[in-house]
Amino acid sequence: MRFSDKVGMAWSSLWKRKLRSLLTILGVMIGVASIVTMMALGEGMNRQSMEMIEEYGGLRTVEVREGNNQTAKNASSGADNAASDPTKLKLTDNTIKTIQEMGHVEQVYPTLEFQAVMQSGGYRLGIYGGQAIPLEVLRDMKWEFADGGWPNKGDELKFVFGNMVIQDFEDSRGNAVYWNTGRVADVDLMKSKMFTVFDTEAYYASQNSGDGGRTAEAGDDLEGADGEAPGAATATPAPKKYMIPTAGVLAGSLEDYKEYSWSVYCDLEALEKMYKKVFKGKAIPGQPVKKNGKPYPELFYSKLSVIVDDVENVEAIQKEIGDMGYQASSNSEWIAQAKEQSRSTQALLGGIGAVSLIVAAIGIANTMMMSIYERTKEIGVMKVLGCGLFDIQQLFLIEAGMIGFGGGVTGLSLSVLVCLIINKITGAMTAVIPFWMYFAAVVFAIIVSMLAGFAPSKRAMSLSALEAIRNN
Amino acid sequence: MNGSVISGKNIYKIFKLGEERVAALNGVSMEVKRGEFVAIVGTSGSGKSTLLNMLAGLDKPTKGEIIIAGQHIEKMSEGELVKFRRDHVGFIFQAYDLLPQLNAIENVALPLSFKGMNKSRRTKEAMHALKQVGLEKYMRHRPTEMSGGQQQRVGIARALVVRPEIIFADEPTGNLDTKTTISVLHLLQEVVHEAGNTLVMVTHDNNLASYADRRLHILDGEVVYED
Ligand SMILES: Nc1ncnc2c1ncn2[C@@H]1O[C@H](COP(=O)(O)OP(=O)(O)OP(=O)(O)O)[C@@H](O)[C@H]1O
Ligand SMILES: [Mg+2]
Repeated sequence: MRFSDKVGMAWSSLWKRKLRSLLTILGVMIGVASIVTMMALGEGMNRQSMEMIEEYGGLRTVEVREGNNQTAKNASSGADNAASDPTKLKLTDNTIKTIQEMGHVEQVYPTLEFQAVMQSGGYRLGIYGGQAIPLEVLRDMKWEFADGGWPNKGDELKFVFGNMVIQDFEDSRGNAVYWNTGRVADVDLMKSKMFTVFDTEAYYASQNSGDGGRTAEAGDDLEGADGEAPGAATATPAPKKYMIPTAGVLAGSLEDYKEYSWSVYCDLEALEKMYKKVFKGKAIPGQPVKKNGKPYPELFYSKLSVIVDDVENVEAIQKEIGDMGYQASSNSEWIAQAKEQSRSTQALLGGIGAVSLIVAAIGIANTMMMSIYERTKEIGVMKVLGCGLFDIQQLFLIEAGMIGFGGGVTGLSLSVLVCLIINKITGAMTAVIPFWMYFAAVVFAIIVSMLAGFAPSKRAMSLSALEAIRNN
Repeated sequence: MNGSVISGKNIYKIFKLGEERVAALNGVSMEVKRGEFVAIVGTSGSGKSTLLNMLAGLDKPTKGEIIIAGQHIEKMSEGELVKFRRDHVGFIFQAYDLLPQLNAIENVALPLSFKGMNKSRRTKEAMHALKQVGLEKYMRHRPTEMSGGQQQRVGIARALVVRPEIIFADEPTGNLDTKTTISVLHLLQEVVHEAGNTLVMVTHDNNLASYADRRLHILDGEVVYED
């Protein structure tokens, strides 16, 4: 018997019992729709947690900070050296080179965290974790600007502000403006004159010893640059202020949180140059000093960001760097945890959906059995007329497969619709149907249906033709 | 052999009903020649249907030999029997047993589809067979839209369409009134004598059996005489 003839016959017998076929298909449809929707919810959760991890420092980044004696303990080679050479586990260009030579490392860049105090009008901004990063790396971030842009290579020091930094300004009495009044400080980051103090230790010391409320007036020193503020010569002399221009402000509203929102950025090279001018061999706040209180000739980085070629290698790289005595951290544990969690949620949700498909499969088996009892005579006649046994079995399997196909396609459509509605209501990609699932859902429905139809088809095949034609 | 399409030798069929054993056939031997119209006649329960089913390869004898178209069918597996029937045997049922969802042409073409013949060819063959039984006007009718006599003509066309070596019919007129019965029997005679088919028909009615060329009278599972 030709395959097309079998399909035709299967179709005509499904058509003959339209309502029953439709109800059976409805069962499969609901089963498929619930599995797909549940899986889509799981997938949505998975993607959201991955996105969140991406936001919090990336999936492929290992963050390296300097090691100390404790971290060096488990590093056999690093331990003895650390004691003799205190700079051994600090972060230098040599560290960058060493890490760069490891396999699977795509990029290593340093960050120097800096402190500063900025004044503009009657307002003051304390910068604690300012980020000085090589300009090329900053440019590669592809962040959008609300105003201005990155400085150019070789420029003097310029700052780039995150979109929420403006909320951190304090008034002359040291009260946070935005948090108390709900309005941001009257400072135009791009245009207002701002005076920056890098020697924060000296600055705060002078604040405490002098009249605490006193802030530098904007008119104090219009030439900016190296001008020393007059009248600051109380107990501790106030440090020098510098006028640092703003290169740009990063895009985003006051509520729009991005990874850069709360930070101030600048080019590492420009800051290093500035430091040389500002401190002239004095100790820089945050940098270590020799036993005699003198600073080291080089700057030590606050952290290194190591970009690994693949998420899978993050953990290994992290361990390798950790074993060298540095403090290495990454999101790998979080990622593994998130993945594990979404896997188990997906399994749970899929399982709940699967229950309804099992019910549908039982429905198919039941319908087919009934149909075979009804058609005992018909099957018998076909056998007497020479229809092959396997042709008969295939007729029923095709019928079951068609039910599965119908249920699979309609169920898939239904779940697409449901997912659209869910996403509309939640306003996020809460339910995501992965591309492969479109294909898999239909195939799966067909397979499950055919499995359900297998026992009935076997029965139809083994029906006695004689028995069938006798009962008249 | 020599000209006989069917040759049964010493056929026994014993049914076991629990402890009891019912001998439906008690050593039947018979021959049917090519182009012959043979009737198997006997009272109810005499074993006519049992014999026919053996000859048509629907059931296996407990003992004995059945040679049809040169092949021993008593040793065939079920799958082989299906194939054997498909290639050599036509069957006419008492209750017509047409498929209700198919029209006359499709019903007649059904056995051809089992052979894997393509649709256009088998439709042509089916139409030819329907003309042979005088139903050219009813080709697209469904079974429910036809009388019993018409349905049985479709049944006959369905048996003819495969050009079988032998056609078996178990009480083919059992569900028909007298007038229709006679016209169906005339048709069967025609089919045998003009188209050269071989027909074995079971009936309990001596009058109907008289349309056949030869009659095998059967009683309690034994052929008592022929005429
Ligand atoms: N499957 C079976 N199991 C047990 N006994 C059977 C079976 N089939 C037939 N018989 C018995 O074999 C005998 C012959 O039955 P068969 O059907 O051949 O009679 P028949 O001549 O066709 O009668 P009728 O004219 O009523 O159709 C009967 O006694 C019947 O009870
Ligand atoms: Mg009978």
